[in-house]
Amino acid sequence: MRWLKIVLQIAFLWLLFMVGDLVVSLLHIPVPGNVFGMLLLFGLLTFNIIPLKWVEEGAGLLLKHMAFFFIPIAVGLMVWGDLFLAQGIQLLTVVMIGAVVTILTTAYTVLFLAKKYDKKEGERA
Amino acid sequence: MNLWITLFVIAVTIFSYWFSRRLNRRNPTSPLTNVVFLSTTIIILILLASGLTFEDYTPGKNIMTFLLGPATVALAVPLHKNVQILKRYLVPILSGILLGVLSTLISVAALAKLLGLDQVITLSMLPKSVTVPIAVEITRIVGGDPALTAAFVVATGTGGSMIAFWLLDRLKIQNPICRGLAIGTTAHGQGTAIAIQEGELPGAMAGIAMALTAVFTSFLAPFLIPFLLIIF
Repeated sequence: MRWLKIVLQIAFLWLLFMVGDLVVSLLHIPVPGNVFGMLLLFGLLTFNIIPLKWVEEGAGLLLKHMAFFFIPIAVGLMVWGDLFLAQGIQLLTVVMIGAVVTILTTAYTVLFLAKKYDKKEGERA
Repeated sequence: MNLWITLFVIAVTIFSYWFSRRLNRRNPTSPLTNVVFLSTTIIILILLASGLTFEDYTPGKNIMTFLLGPATVALAVPLHKNVQILKRYLVPILSGILLGVLSTLISVAALAKLLGLDQVITLSMLPKSVTVPIAVEITRIVGGDPALTAAFVVATGTGGSMIAFWLLDRLKIQNPICRGLAIGTTAHGQGTAIAIQEGELPGAMAGIAMALTAVFTSFLAPFLIPFLLIIF
């Protein structure tokens, strides 16, 4: 029974993904269909249109293994072996330093502003 | 198409995932035990050793990635559970993601110029922090190579999700909101998949960061990229 429930819940999430894909391609919205599906489900849950228990277990299982779905995609990097052998150091430098800059910028912006926010709330209280 | 090859590559992928997760659980803080990095390395080595190409792997890949769409939709659940935090810190969250997106575009353009990279490569690299379908659209608009862009997106997703938490640990940044947003803005879905392993709140924040990074980049990139190419 539990597995049947999980399968049905995943089927429902898949349906939302298909709806997201359709809406995005019809309206030319600049987000991928799966991300639109996520915002759609978020709206449905937040405005109490569907209860959390309809999706909770299926979602939990998919999220626990979300990293798995990226593995076959990353294997696709093997096609670019030659380019990475020829210019690997430069490309890797840009990719990694770019990543470090983004991580630090986002992290410190949020940290700084969140602290300011908490302080303001504290003064009001 | 060869059924046995497809079954073989699926078995290899599942085995590598299982093995990588075990190693990751034993040593969760090292970038080298990142599940996607480790599994991918093992799989590529096995494919090369058995004389298989990516074309042989592709049918299996299509079967195994079938649930990525619904898994992304599922991110709404942790986001919904943390909606109070999202409301309370809306301004810091939006600012962090927006500045993160700008810093990606500027740093990549500057570094590519500094290292003397080819312009097509630079253009293909700029949307690297966005999920593949959007990045490919952006690269078409600005004149990059879509296939190359997809490769940079995956490389950034893998590299970014390997170092993000390691780097934040070194800097003693333990705030889960901050960690989730930083990894999601940098490494899109791949970062989000790692963030959700750390907890529901970082997972939720990474999910929203991934969504908004896609939106901000697709609005900013077509205007900002030509401008960046002139100044650098």
